[in-house]
Amino acid sequence: MDYIDPHIHMVSRTTDDYETLARMGCVAMSEPAFWAGFDRGSVESFRDYFRQLTEFEPKRAAQYGIRHFTWLCINAKEAENVSLSREVIAMIPEFLSSKNVLGIGEIGLNKNTKNESTIFLEHLELAVQYDQQILIHTPHLEDKFQGTRMILDMLMGDSRINRSRVLVDHVEEHTIETVLENGFWAGMTLYPVTKCTPQRAADMIEKYGPERLMANSAGDWGPSKPTAIPDLIMELKRRGHSRELIRRVVYENPRQFFSQSKNFDPTILPG
Amino acid sequence: MSIDPNAVQRTAEKVLAEEFLSARSKILDLAAILDRLERAPGSIENAAQMQLLGQCLKILCDDEFDKARRVQLLMSRQYDPDWRKTYGLH
Ligand SMILES: [Zn+2]
Repeated sequence: MDYIDPHIHMVSRTTDDYETLARMGCVAMSEPAFWAGFDRGSVESFRDYFRQLTEFEPKRAAQYGIRHFTWLCINAKEAENVSLSREVIAMIPEFLSSKNVLGIGEIGLNKNTKNESTIFLEHLELAVQYDQQILIHTPHLEDKFQGTRMILDMLMGDSRINRSRVLVDHVEEHTIETVLENGFWAGMTLYPVTKCTPQRAADMIEKYGPERLMANSAGDWGPSKPTAIPDLIMELKRRGHSRELIRRVVYENPRQFFSQSKNFDPTILPG
Repeated sequence: MSIDPNAVQRTAEKVLAEEFLSARSKILDLAAILDRLERAPGSIENAAQMQLLGQCLKILCDDEFDKARRVQLLMSRQYDPDWRKTYGLH
């Protein structure tokens, strides 16, 4: 079955992974800017990273017939450094007209600090100013509930934010409901240790239905499985769910969400 | 075909038959972790993590539903609706 992975960090995957994903039905993906596993020293490191995301990765993906899109920001972990964050935010507009940029992301909170919140709000300002969609990272483990609520407070406290153009990622059982009922899109991240399994994601689809709900693999440099979406597809099939339901979650929803970005032409992917 | 996930709801009997071995294996994993802790030298009875695990196990055994969400909330830091004031952010 064709599918789209709306949150996968391909810079940390091998070219063999691109081939495997293509064989498993991945036709498009979006890669939010994130933490590299170590703190970068200067704004120039981010400029090179954004070039990798906007120039190099789309070419690597295209070799396997996969469309590659991206989101730009300074991630929540490095946002603790406010002055570096401001330099990065000031540089982002240089890249916003690149063909594969869908918006600002993955912005969010990590340890729910004051500095992280300050930089989150400055990213929102950037998104509003340039009419960009937003992809959000919610914190892990014990910080997730508190951080998600703080993020929703900041989003809902700004009347200029169009909630249907915001995707809140890494939702779990205790955060999904507030995200969906307030009109945002929600992404479930299938991650072996700290996030959600395909079985629990299938439970949330059964409980909340497919409206504005997506799944992703995160596929990064940590223990993660880039082919997690096919695992979810298998689980939903095993439970007897219709092809239409599965396709809605793993293909049509991300396609519809991406379509709200200026740089995404939905005709490149069949409806 | 329907996009309504409730259109093909499995019966409780079917879910139990399909998930029993998985539940059995997860309970054994957990039991073995508790045994491992018991065998290891040192003292953890008063460790906050042990208290938390104990409270989670109670949720698994009680008569209420929504267990996954309740375990998640138990494992979460508290949210303070006035956090912005605390941080001086408006
Ligand atoms: Zn990510």
